Amino acid sequence: MRLVAIDEVARTRSLKRGQGLAEARAMYPDIDVFDEDERADFALLEAIADWCDRYTPLVALDGKDGLFLDITGCTHLFGGEDAMLRDILARLFQMGFDVRGSISSTPGLSSAISRFGHGGVIAREGMASALGALPVHALRLDEKTVASLLKLGLKRVANLMSMPRAPLARRFGAQLLMRLDQALGTNEEAISPRRPVAPLSAERRLSEPIQTEEDILGMTAEIASSLKLSLENRGAGGKVFELVLFRVDGRVFRISAGASRPLRDPKRISGLFSERLNAIHDDLDAGFGFELLRLNVLQHDVFDALQADFSGEEGRETSLADFIDRVSARFGAGCLQVYQHQQSHIPERAEIFLPAIAELERQPQCSENLQFLPRADRPLRLLRSPEPVEAFAALVPDGPPQQFRWRHVMHIVTRAEGPERISPEWWIDDENAKERDYFRLESELGRLFWVFRLGRYGDDPPPTWRIHGVFA
Amino acid sequence: MAHAAAAQEKLFALREQIARLEGRSLPAMAAAKMENFAARLGGEEKLSFDIAALDDALSGGLPLDCITEIRSGSFSDAGAATGFSLSLVGLMKARKAATGPMLWIADGFTAGEMGIPYAGGIRQFGIDSRTIFHASPRRLEDALWLAEGALESKAFIATILEVHANPKSFGLAESRRLSLRAKAAGRPLFLLRHAGGEEASSASVRLLVEPAPALERPLPDGSMLGGSIGHPVFNITLEKSRNPAPLSFRLEWNLHDRQFQLARNPGKSSFHKWPAHSGASLSVSADRQDRQKALGDVVAFERAS
Repeated sequence: MRLVAIDEVARTRSLKRGQGLAEARAMYPDIDVFDEDERADFALLEAIADWCDRYTPLVALDGKDGLFLDITGCTHLFGGEDAMLRDILARLFQMGFDVRGSISSTPGLSSAISRFGHGGVIAREGMASALGALPVHALRLDEKTVASLLKLGLKRVANLMSMPRAPLARRFGAQLLMRLDQALGTNEEAISPRRPVAPLSAERRLSEPIQTEEDILGMTAEIASSLKLSLENRGAGGKVFELVLFRVDGRVFRISAGASRPLRDPKRISGLFSERLNAIHDDLDAGFGFELLRLNVLQHDVFDALQADFSGEEGRETSLADFIDRVSARFGAGCLQVYQHQQSHIPERAEIFLPAIAELERQPQCSENLQFLPRADRPLRLLRSPEPVEAFAALVPDGPPQQFRWRHVMHIVTRAEGPERISPEWWIDDENAKERDYFRLESELGRLFWVFRLGRYGDDPPPTWRIHGVFA
Repeated sequence: MAHAAAAQEKLFALREQIARLEGRSLPAMAAAKMENFAARLGGEEKLSFDIAALDDALSGGLPLDCITEIRSGSFSDAGAATGFSLSLVGLMKARKAATGPMLWIADGFTAGEMGIPYAGGIRQFGIDSRTIFHASPRRLEDALWLAEGALESKAFIATILEVHANPKSFGLAESRRLSLRAKAAGRPLFLLRHAGGEEASSASVRLLVEPAPALERPLPDGSMLGGSIGHPVFNITLEKSRNPAPLSFRLEWNLHDRQFQLARNPGKSSFHKWPAHSGASLSVSADRQDRQKALGDVVAFERAS
């Protein structure tokens, strides 16, 4: 067992990361040791990364204990680089984290300076000297390379920088030079942000945190109205919205809501979130309030501007879309569904449900190919899965039963129609799947059932009977 | 005398008020007074069945701006109840030429017990399955919210709310609320109650639906195909309506014409158990040797006198 992380006190007592636990215990018998909980650490880092979204949408993870923030073009919003860095560090410090940070032109250098240097903002001309003063560990190399560099007395990056490149590459591989170039900016290094950048987003910083639902919705409508102009400029309307709520204590809530038609109207956008907030009421703990609200448009689509006519026909269209949006926001997209016909003869595969929110746009255009609809009668209610029934006195080989027992009730058959044979789909089912012979059976009381025989007489095992639906 | 007249006046006013509360058409005298008021309302929309006896009992037809409860006695009759409520929507579509989607708010328990409405069957029932929106809320409260929202939005020509038995959380207050919504929106709400008992509610009409043996399939020449199962037939009992006596009707829903007709009594059915060849039997051969030859043609009989 080894030490993976140490606190301030341990550092002053010359304990090191990577040291054996037994050795550390031998040196200081009174140290407290805890098992590493990687998942909890990761969750914490993610939470901090979420919080950092307030500075820039481009936040990437750097190993297990670091974050990259791409602040290109964001610094002026926070009063310059220095002020921004101080703001980030101060706020995190108030939350109880001991954080180092630095701003420079490359991710590699920032990472090196904040881990091994003194932090701060590194100007472009000072990059080489800042990097040169650091130990070679700062270059993010693998342990073997670092060990052999140290063995050769190359302790500082400056030692490497003054050496000819070709022998270095030959001796230590391409990785060393790549890392060096990346840190100095001669080689491009891309960070991978955790979330895609929203095409459009707007936010409000509040001096007075808000807590109530009405305030949040009101603020959402206000932000949405500031987004409206940019949506109009693009000729688009938002389809998927995300409301990001930054709580005073650093927790971040993300609430997303979809619309069936592209939306621009601030009132309807905030209406979407009103349903969402209702639905997640218990999960959203306002605590001491939210200090920053951001509305992202994650997905947008062409907005067909509609001119209202006198008959008000257009009103129904939008009210339907509005209803679908509200339901989907409140109960999820799976709650409201539409039927879709599939080209299959197996009844349970022939009709499937699709979420209405995704289908509303597509529906009017696609016309079903009616040629594939079955000609024979189909039941009005289809059971979730065929239920076994006990059939008596069925005519062999392909006749209907004269009575059957379903859910402990005996039904005496007075009339029957059938059989309608449906063969299995061997390309989906097993090659040995059995065919079904469907019958419509009318009982004495006038109830109509859809019953089928699975398999044929003479087969082993013998055929079984199932009920699959009821007619009117 | 003047005193009596004033009392009479008061009585009429009260009657009028009650009638308005109940959503009933006003008594004759009051109606005459309120003529222009009624004209403003544009008259209530009614769904006529085209069956004189039934329409009379419903005073003109099924009102389309309130709750209509369709009840079945047990889950085994769910098919019939489903069919009848869908046929009402089908009739609306056929009658008013109303286009637009309908909403089916399913009940989870019923779905587990008797399955979900199947698009293939619905299509054969005369309703385009693409115009049906199927909602599957988890709780009854959600279902009520959906029904209210659907009525309010006026986006659906009809809403079917499925419940099972008589749930406590769907009482008089809730049904009154939905009924007011329906009235305000002018859209019908069909409350489909499976395996439920009679219960006081704000539904203006309550019907008990029971299945009945179907008639046989009609052949082009007007005869019936023996042993076949034709259009669905329902036994309808008017349990709650303006008409005091419970009335029963046996209705057949014609899938193709999309209209109801009174089902004739099956009468002397030529019922035999599933004939081996269900088609019409072949005509007897007329000109073979085993037949007796007719003795020439009879043109006319001679006058007797």
